[in-house]
Amino acid sequence: MKTRQQGEPLRKLKNFEYGAAEVDNENAPMLLVATLPKRSKRKSAQLVSSRIKKQLNLLDDQPKPDLDTEDEEEFVPSNTALYSSSDDEEMIDGDEGELARKGRRRRMTERLPPRSEKSPSAARTCRKTRSKKGESDTPRHGTPTIPSRLMPAPQPNYVLEVARTRLHVSSVPESLPCREQEFQDIYSFVESKIIDGTGGCMYISGVPGTGKTATVHEVIRCLRNAANADEIPSFHFVEINGMKMTDPHQAYVQILEKLTSQKATADHAASLLEKRFSNPAPRKQTTVLLVDELDLLWTRKQNVMYNLFDWPTRRHSRLVVLTIANTMDLPERIMINRVASRLGLTRMSFQPYGYKQLQQIIMSRLNKIKAFEEDALQLVSRKVAALSGDARRCLDICRRAAELCEHAVARTSVARLVGMDHVMDALNEMFSSSYIASIKFASVQEQLFLRAVIAEFRRLGLEEATFQQVLIQHQALCRVEGLQSTGVSEVLAVCQRLGACRLLLLETSRLGILQRIRLNVSQDDVLYALKSD
Amino acid sequence: MSSSWLQQQRHPGYEEESLRRVAEQLPCREPQAGMLLFLMGEPKQYSLPCIFIYGHRASGKSHVVNILLKELETPHATVSGAECISATLLFQQVLLSFFGEDAVAALPRSPSLSDFVRIYKQHCSRATAEQTRYIVLEKAELLRDMDANLLSTLVRLQELVEDNVSVLLLSELVWDTFRPNTGCLEPLLLHFPDYTKAELHQILSRDRHPSYSADFYASYIHILLGVFYAVCRDLRELRHLAALNFTKFCEPVAEGKATESDTHKLWRHIEPHLKKAMQTVYLREVSSLEWEKMQEVEMEASPLRGLSAHSHVELPFYSKFLLIAAYLASYNPARTDKRFFVKHHGKIKKTNFLKKNEKTSNHLLGPKPFPLDRMLAIFYSVVDSRVAPTASIFSQISSLVTLQLLTQVSHVDQLDSPKYKCAVSMDFICAISRTVNFDIIKYLYDFL
Repeated sequence: MKTRQQGEPLRKLKNFEYGAAEVDNENAPMLLVATLPKRSKRKSAQLVSSRIKKQLNLLDDQPKPDLDTEDEEEFVPSNTALYSSSDDEEMIDGDEGELARKGRRRRMTERLPPRSEKSPSAARTCRKTRSKKGESDTPRHGTPTIPSRLMPAPQPNYVLEVARTRLHVSSVPESLPCREQEFQDIYSFVESKIIDGTGGCMYISGVPGTGKTATVHEVIRCLRNAANADEIPSFHFVEINGMKMTDPHQAYVQILEKLTSQKATADHAASLLEKRFSNPAPRKQTTVLLVDELDLLWTRKQNVMYNLFDWPTRRHSRLVVLTIANTMDLPERIMINRVASRLGLTRMSFQPYGYKQLQQIIMSRLNKIKAFEEDALQLVSRKVAALSGDARRCLDICRRAAELCEHAVARTSVARLVGMDHVMDALNEMFSSSYIASIKFASVQEQLFLRAVIAEFRRLGLEEATFQQVLIQHQALCRVEGLQSTGVSEVLAVCQRLGACRLLLLETSRLGILQRIRLNVSQDDVLYALKSD
Repeated sequence: MSSSWLQQQRHPGYEEESLRRVAEQLPCREPQAGMLLFLMGEPKQYSLPCIFIYGHRASGKSHVVNILLKELETPHATVSGAECISATLLFQQVLLSFFGEDAVAALPRSPSLSDFVRIYKQHCSRATAEQTRYIVLEKAELLRDMDANLLSTLVRLQELVEDNVSVLLLSELVWDTFRPNTGCLEPLLLHFPDYTKAELHQILSRDRHPSYSADFYASYIHILLGVFYAVCRDLRELRHLAALNFTKFCEPVAEGKATESDTHKLWRHIEPHLKKAMQTVYLREVSSLEWEKMQEVEMEASPLRGLSAHSHVELPFYSKFLLIAAYLASYNPARTDKRFFVKHHGKIKKTNFLKKNEKTSNHLLGPKPFPLDRMLAIFYSVVDSRVAPTASIFSQISSLVTLQLLTQVSHVDQLDSPKYKCAVSMDFICAISRTVNFDIIKYLYDFL
């Protein structure tokens, strides 16, 4: 246990080491520690850095190179060997490792476009994700839940690939840019509750992709570091997600299982938790409960929500509940008064990202890799900010643009950055609706049928017509176009095909020629698609 | 002659003998059977995933498919949509006929489609088929009422179970009314056309009586079709009528009044008889058994009153008046009530009296709903004596509803001012009103 706690800052240290290596290609840890606090204004980060300083001083006194290798083995699950050699190489301090690294760098530079001098970054990202895996949410029982890879993950070889791995939604960065204020608020809320030994609720809302869950996780991680450093009392952390439950009452079962690893039915678990939170107990730790997708825990009597918000108000509960949902007015909309009042007024809403923030997020992800043109990044962030402000969407578009660029590079073998044209293509792929394209590529009879539908709507002045009315128009159009007129069955098949594509809205096919037809796309779209050929 | 389609195309993999037997049993369906056999291909070859066979009633859909599958000894499961009220029964029958009892036992209590596919796959991997398996679904139109995904799954069952299985859907409806709104794999459509008159003649002549010559029976069928073909092309019905009336046709020959070649005489004898049969037996007014009895005892045909003549119902006195009141309320417009039922309604404007030139009479449009109050008001006015609105009156109304002489239009829960419709015919109500000496024609707006 002791070694583990020491090992934590050590591994942190190594991260920074590589940050430094990236800055000036040289292992200069002391220099880095001096520069680090400038990068992050956050209180926790400062605390961490001070701790690192202490550790470094310790290290200087008695360097223990064997300690950290041992730690690595302890933390990383069995498949250490499966990871590519780069990590292990770098663990060895010596000429060999240095040599190997240089050799690889030489190898890479051959393949890389000339602008990129930061080739070790590839190794760095790998290290980063790995260190996080070690630092899982429940360090006390170190059984990893994610199935291990059978094959080593392919190493990103050149800049675009590195950019793509970094832009992946799953690789949550260490620090979340543009959410410093929210981080601070949540951190201080939870920290104060933990220090006071009281309970409370907080409601966090915001549209999808604004970093709610990531921020809370970050808070918990920092708090845990603080608890490990004995700055605040230690605490339990339990996370449940409404989406991952078959039934709202399963929440009790999951909470109990994560707290005490005890299995019970929903009712029994509820009573056990009730007992746990209402009775005083010596040496009781604070429990931080994160409830994601709160709106799915809604039941008719709302007793699950009621209990979740009622337990923190008990005198001996020492429970902090953080709830996350999408809509800001959820408590007012679906909760009955006694539940809403227990939830309290500690609320926080995550605003959608503006374009500058999105740009900053991408920049921080890329971390000074020169893969994107400035204008291209600005275009992505402006487009996404105008539509939803969803960071996930933004990252996806960037990745798609990087992919397109990669294909282009592979085709022409001219190295270049991701430019405006790639971004425009990616945006078109992601945002344009497929209806117009599907009308454009529909068969002649299908296009004719759509035209007949619009003609009939024009004649009737309504937005609805029966099939037999449209059929008359269709046959007239066939005659005008000089096509051989088709049978009712064929036209019905055409109509039902369009209905299956959701271009038309149809009634049940049993009604035959009496079924009514509506358009599922606007008439202008149909006309535009039909006219352009 | 019937094996022409056999000789034209070789069907390797099937025995010559069984093909000949098939051809014998399928008169006038050579093109269809040939096409089916062509689609089935050789026993080992993969068939189409789904073939949709449609045609009118008694056009030989099930017959052709069953004879083909039985004579060629292909593994097949014949399931009727009418029998399988739940998908469970369908799954059980299919598994039972393909894999036997233990496959059925493996099905859970209320199996889903995925259970069925899983167990099918398990068993077919154990016993791989040398031949295409066929699932024949008769009355497939009833499948649409079952699970929404059942039909679209069966259409592509071959893909799902990864087995050489083919589904044949038989229905009287066209495929257009089957297609799910979300779309599905389009099966091959195969139409069975109606039999022509000549074909019907050929098929019906096959089951001749052994004691008479074939020409004699053929001439009988000719006469029969001459009478019935205009109203009925259903092979089963015609065959039934032919069997029923043949003894009558043979009578003159048996009695020695005519010879077998005396066609005109025989026609004169049977023709009025067949015309009578069209009104009675064909509409099931008289059951086939009674008809045969009548022929035996030489009774004058149809002195008996048929089923539809039994329209006299004994009712209590007030129920009769209630029914009359309901009929009047249903078929008279409400604005004429004052003119018909108020005794001293002051001065009457003549213009109100005159029947407006209405295009259709109320009797053609069917009964209209009326509230209970109006019916009771008419009831009190048509009954001469004073009637107290007791519970028995109201219970008689509700029992008229249960007897289906009235129908309740409003919801059953509605207690205040429920609405009714009268559901009896003109003849019925005239007979009722005659028994209580009430001239209903005088009070009906249509007959003014």
